[in-house]
Amino acid sequence: MMRSRYLILALLFMAGCGSGSFGVACGGSAPKTDAAAATPRKMRFAIIPKALDIPVFNYAKLGAERAAKEYGDVEVLWNAPASADQLKQKEILESYITQRVDGIAISSLNGEFLADTINRAIDLGIPVTTWDSDAPSSKRIAFYGVDDRASGHIMGEEAIKLLNGKGKVAIITSLGAANLQNRLEGVKEALAKAPGIQVVETYDIKEDVIRCAEIIATGSRRYPDLGAWISVGGWPVFTRNALASIDPSKTKVISFDTISPALDLLRDNKVQVLLGQKYFGWGSESVKLLRDIKNGNRPSTPIIDSGVDVVTKDNVDQYEQQWKKMAGTQ
Amino acid sequence: MKRLRAVRELSTVAILIAEILFFTWYLWPEAGRAHPFFNAENFLLILKYSSIYGIAAVGAAVVIISGGIDLAPGAVIALSGVVTGYHVVVQDWSIGPSVAVGLSIGALSGLLTSVLIVNIKLPPFIATLGVMGITRGIAFIITEGQYYDVSSKLPPGWHPLGLSIDWLAPITMFVMAVIFQVLMTRFQWGRAVFSIGGNETAALYSGIAIGRIKASVYVLSGLLASLSGVVLVLVQGQGKADLATGYELDIIASAVVGGASLAGGRGSVMGAVVGTLIFGVLRNALPQIPGATFYDRLIVGLVVIVIVVADQLLLRRSSTS
Repeated sequence: MMRSRYLILALLFMAGCGSGSFGVACGGSAPKTDAAAATPRKMRFAIIPKALDIPVFNYAKLGAERAAKEYGDVEVLWNAPASADQLKQKEILESYITQRVDGIAISSLNGEFLADTINRAIDLGIPVTTWDSDAPSSKRIAFYGVDDRASGHIMGEEAIKLLNGKGKVAIITSLGAANLQNRLEGVKEALAKAPGIQVVETYDIKEDVIRCAEIIATGSRRYPDLGAWISVGGWPVFTRNALASIDPSKTKVISFDTISPALDLLRDNKVQVLLGQKYFGWGSESVKLLRDIKNGNRPSTPIIDSGVDVVTKDNVDQYEQQWKKMAGTQ
Repeated sequence: MKRLRAVRELSTVAILIAEILFFTWYLWPEAGRAHPFFNAENFLLILKYSSIYGIAAVGAAVVIISGGIDLAPGAVIALSGVVTGYHVVVQDWSIGPSVAVGLSIGALSGLLTSVLIVNIKLPPFIATLGVMGITRGIAFIITEGQYYDVSSKLPPGWHPLGLSIDWLAPITMFVMAVIFQVLMTRFQWGRAVFSIGGNETAALYSGIAIGRIKASVYVLSGLLASLSGVVLVLVQGQGKADLATGYELDIIASAVVGGASLAGGRGSVMGAVVGTLIFGVLRNALPQIPGATFYDRLIVGLVVIVIVVADQLLLRRSSTS
């Protein structure tokens, strides 16, 4: 009986070797020959997003893999918790440290929580950069991403313009990540300059798009005279129906992120302003940064501002064309 | 039954060893590189993270053996960590008393569960679902989405028992496993837990104080979950309300893979700990296989089913012979 159990377990693992990219690894992971050792060793860079279930990070993966292919001397190791879980993200980070990868680029779920671990990697000689969400208290070498506070200012200013300086605003965020916190503060700072604007509520939707849709529906009922929703993350535009309860003639929406179906929602006037990040750049620039660092070229400044794209109905077609080019679908 | 338990525990250990051997072979590095999986640092890493589940899984195994279920451990881990962090950071208490308050949270939540199950006669699933919501909710109310940075309050270079802080969780897990293994197999209390899980009516007629034993089981489960939370906050340095979200299912799965029967009356505390290590190895090794990132949950799910089905077959064969 016991023997059959081990056979089943072994078969289970072998089954994974049958097909697809997972299968490819099976053939190449057995003890290596001298011939393999003779070929130049690729640098292994671990790229860690916040979670695997957040759609924008797929583009970062694409960007990282494309950059690795272009350079030819880089292998990208892509892994994250299935959903946002800072303890699991820390475990993955530590695992890459024990594997002694050649570099790590991480989008921190909680920068403070990861700081000691990042410092340990640096002390062991593994270069660490951050992207999308920084860990500023750590010894990370560089951060690539948007200036979140400035992005928050843009969102707040766009809301003031859409509301002509007067009306009620509700904000959507997820507590915990430093980048979202900075955007939130930026939004509030900008709105504070317009005395006619009243922030009625700041909702924590815990990085959950379903929860976000629910909050928008209940919030819209709670505040029927709401002038605008401002979302510091892309949760309202990640699904087509989250904004269904909103009447665009009464309530405007300003949201981060431009991935599908956000642009369609913009054309349908369900959302009026979108802020696009450099999604492909998160991956490609992280690979470039780590490669440069490994080759002895450290960035001149630790903060590399990627900038944001402000997308409205006036420039949506142009933006989409650029996007398709980047994604390789055109 | 005793022989069956021994065979079951040994076969769980054998699965763990087979798993380690498999990944050692599979992840064999290119010449000139260190082994990414089979090294002492990586094994400590696996132990460190598995222990958070493992300490609570000791309690979960006892609950499952008694015929119950506890869905609250994940939330109790978070609340205990938050309460400990609150006392260390906000109240500026020393570590000892703060840990004591954190542990008492687990005992209190267990007590609440016991009252709901034993006195109000709620099914364990419903009672612990409610307690899970209450404890997680209190953690969010206390922190309001922020966290307590306990690491800033720990003595610099803190080495409890002269060891690296990373060893705190594994040592706690193994000590708890040994204590509860002895309690479950060598003491009247443990035999009563098995009897209640096996046949509650028969246990009642044999004079076992069912209510008291059940209450003690849930209090101990809460206490062990809070111990996991306290260890987590000391090792990881932060008390935060959303930590360990959803971990209850992993904890229950570890106990089941370790031989605990959800029908009650059968299981092993040591098996539950080995179960957490089986998952810990999978969690650590699968992402190291290129392209396996999106497969690992599927494989973990399949492993659970294969092991439990094989266990059922083993049980059937033993009961017919």
